[in-house]
Amino acid sequence: MDELSTINRRRFLKQAGTLAALSTVGGIPLTALANEDHVTLTILHTNDVHSRIDPFPMDGSRNQGLGGVARRATLVERIRSEQRNVLLLDAGDTVQGTPYFNLFGGKVELELMSRMRYDASTFGNHEFDNGLEGLAKMLPYAKFPFLTANYDFSDTLLKGKTRDYIIFRKQGLRIGVFGLGIQLAGLVDPTRCQGVRYLDPVTTANVLAERLKQDYRCNLVVCLSHLGYKYQGNKVSDVVLARNTRNIDLIIGGHTHTFMPEPEHIRNLDGQMTTINQVGFAGINLGRLDYIFERQSKKKKLVTAGRYKMSERMSAVMERG
Amino acid sequence: MKHFQINVSISHFGFFLFVALLTSCHRYFVPASHQYTQQQIDSTLTPDAAYMEYYRPYKQQLEAEMDRVIGHTDVALTKPSNVPETRLGNFFTDALLAEGKKQYPDAEFSFGTKGGLRIELQQGDITIGNLFELMPFENELVLLELSGKSVQQLAEFIAATGGQPVSGLRMKISDGKATDIAVAGKPLELSHTYKLITYDYLANGGDNSRGLNSPVSRINLGQKVREALITYVSEQTQAGKHINTQLDGRIIHDQ
Repeated sequence: MDELSTINRRRFLKQAGTLAALSTVGGIPLTALANEDHVTLTILHTNDVHSRIDPFPMDGSRNQGLGGVARRATLVERIRSEQRNVLLLDAGDTVQGTPYFNLFGGKVELELMSRMRYDASTFGNHEFDNGLEGLAKMLPYAKFPFLTANYDFSDTLLKGKTRDYIIFRKQGLRIGVFGLGIQLAGLVDPTRCQGVRYLDPVTTANVLAERLKQDYRCNLVVCLSHLGYKYQGNKVSDVVLARNTRNIDLIIGGHTHTFMPEPEHIRNLDGQMTTINQVGFAGINLGRLDYIFERQSKKKKLVTAGRYKMSERMSAVMERG
Repeated sequence: MKHFQINVSISHFGFFLFVALLTSCHRYFVPASHQYTQQQIDSTLTPDAAYMEYYRPYKQQLEAEMDRVIGHTDVALTKPSNVPETRLGNFFTDALLAEGKKQYPDAEFSFGTKGGLRIELQQGDITIGNLFELMPFENELVLLELSGKSVQQLAEFIAATGGQPVSGLRMKISDGKATDIAVAGKPLELSHTYKLITYDYLANGGDNSRGLNSPVSRINLGQKVREALITYVSEQTQAGKHINTQLDGRIIHDQ
């Protein structure tokens, strides 16, 4: 049985390799593989955009001329026209960093994200910068949910205004997405997050991911995390989360503004691979993960149990932008 | 995790979930593989005109306020992460101390954190917008009267984190410990109290800083940090001066 899935993977790699050689820009046209037996899913993601509406100014600074929400929109629209199943996700700190936030309180950022049809985001620590009142004021401009499973807002005015998770349905696929935020104490002024209870991210993740994968039978479980990529010591990070959880396929990270050259694959508690990715900050990059799902017979389904393994060779078809 | 249940009040997404649950009895697909592409957002992408049009009025209002040049710096004000003292940190804390002293002339030193300084300033003109981006937060100045022991703790925090922006305080870092601490030109005495200018975020425990949590007294100055920076730069310009912040060895590694 294991061999079967290996063969399938080899076949895919071969196909993908051929297509990669033919492809021009924007990666491999995976729709070419979509048929009765395959469904593709394209996950696009940003993190820590920090109110960077316009590209960085041409002032000689390191990131001059990069980023820009209108350019990102062009790219996202192009990908949407090429791919049937697209999810556009963000890992928090959407605001704070340019005067757009100081002057307009988050309205411009969230309206533009809504227009681009973001499917979900989470709260970074900077979403709290204007206090819970400021946050409550800007939330109505978002036509997508903020997923904040480990912040308990029940005793605050944000009660009921965020969600723990959401399940997206794409061409028969179910994609479960939940969100985790960083410990606020020591990072956010206590007067700006009064009454928010912080729940342990690892425990929260294990409960939710199991529910999404096992109970709701999601084909892919994604965590939007503002915990940060990794730290010295034991502080909870995406790497620590991946190692200490089950049932999470993908962690889209933020907070540490890490420019990961490519996703990292970490063995989780079950020995399965959890993928971590983060694309810097300020909307300089758009991350794109193209998944192929195989239709399984019931027999095979039991063997692979909705999980997949990343082999060494898999990285050979990964492209850098 | 109090909101595990479907929240029907958010009807749009509740509907999504409802459909998902109704049809979730079979698992047809398993992920077989994935591949990764990262695209840089740069000038090769034509901006979407509809998006530009949407935010144009906001941009115009913003630029009218932000593009005003209020000063000039002769040196790039940078904050390399691996050195104990930076030009940007010196500029920032010198400005805070100068502004704080206008209200409380007996203020002796000031403290900020590297992480709170959000951009570097290039050599050349300084605009209102630059200072907004340097200090986007709505934080306000605070005067803390600290015991000598608290100042010692603060210095240990500064040493343990490889140096932080300070003005009016000099120290060395030796094996991650603070040594030769001096405030306002005099060696630190644990029996004395000292007056520090910082801002509410740090005084309330932000950036995990130490030494600020049990001040002898605290006065909120009611002035935003950003406004203090804008005033400082504007007044330098009015006096015919450019910003020309140099490193002066206020924090050094003791080799």
